[in-house]
Amino acid sequence: MTALTVSIYRYNPETDKKPYMQDIEVDVPEGKDLMVLDVLHLAKEKDPALTYRRSCREGVCGSDGMNISGKNGLACITPLSEAKKGNKLVLRPLPGLPVVRDLVVDMSLFYKQYEKIKPYLQNDTPAPAIERLQSPEDRAKLDGLYECILCACCSTSCPSFWWNPDKFVGPAGLLQAWRFLADSRDTATAERLADLDDPFSVFRCRGIMNCVNVCPKGLNPTRAIGHIRSMLLTQSA
Amino acid sequence: MNNNRPVNLDLTTIWLPITGVVSFAHRVSGIVLFIGAAFLVWALDASLSSAAGFAQVKQLLAENFIAQFIVWGTLCALAYHFVAGIKHLIMDAGIGETKEGGKAGAYFTLIVSAVLFVLAGVWVW
Repeated sequence: MTALTVSIYRYNPETDKKPYMQDIEVDVPEGKDLMVLDVLHLAKEKDPALTYRRSCREGVCGSDGMNISGKNGLACITPLSEAKKGNKLVLRPLPGLPVVRDLVVDMSLFYKQYEKIKPYLQNDTPAPAIERLQSPEDRAKLDGLYECILCACCSTSCPSFWWNPDKFVGPAGLLQAWRFLADSRDTATAERLADLDDPFSVFRCRGIMNCVNVCPKGLNPTRAIGHIRSMLLTQSA
Repeated sequence: MNNNRPVNLDLTTIWLPITGVVSFAHRVSGIVLFIGAAFLVWALDASLSSAAGFAQVKQLLAENFIAQFIVWGTLCALAYHFVAGIKHLIMDAGIGETKEGGKAGAYFTLIVSAVLFVLAGVWVW
């Protein structure tokens, strides 16, 4: 067993006026690498009031997105060996979103932006008797887009989203906007582009690339945004 | 019950990757350029006012370290802003949009502008 100091952002709306950092000492077993989520469970044994979201514990559900030693990531698939600085692990809630309690943030603004891009297939042609077919080449265009689990690690690492979470769609929303623009079965391309054609929705992206650097699934919102921008440009030309 | 929810946005605690540093510096260089332009406009105005004014500005730029430093700083801001802008154009063409490509572009921006900073210094002094 080795001692580890876990510094955790605490805030209880019932009792606290302001959030504060609390150090919790935990004993970490030697000889294996825990995930940050395992360390949170150890910390919760010391203080059962500690609050965080989690579900699948394998990077599929996207519930435990948080700021781990400065970098957004999923606690369940971030190894402690990569996350700790010296003998210390610092855990804060995702930046920029209102904190409900401890590491739990209110994701309403994030979901509102996702809803805005109409994240579902739109096709006004009569439905065929079987599925709408797609060539393997067209299907391949969706790789790197459909895998997003909406954990919000990217959007909450994006300064453009911090300053304009109500007007800038953000990397997660725009990756999905491109996912439907790129889908050969979707016929609402013109309407989708018209909805994005303003100074904020897409063009607040300054190519900072924090999104690409933190995405736990290795996806690339910056490239998707580049594709949308090119499409807007060719449409207006 | 406190209904005023706090927001975790202490920038000193949040990791900024090299691509973000380069982007932040791009904005800072724009502000420096804006402020430096005020000095350049003043110097231009003074140098055009009369023969004596021209001589005064010429002497200032040849001998006064602070004036030289302001000119050098403005040139550096211009150089950085220019190179970072070119990087943006390259990225708009779809090059360097990957995680590694972005990093390479950031280092490219830093190295090229560092060379230009030195050249600007040689020119001023």
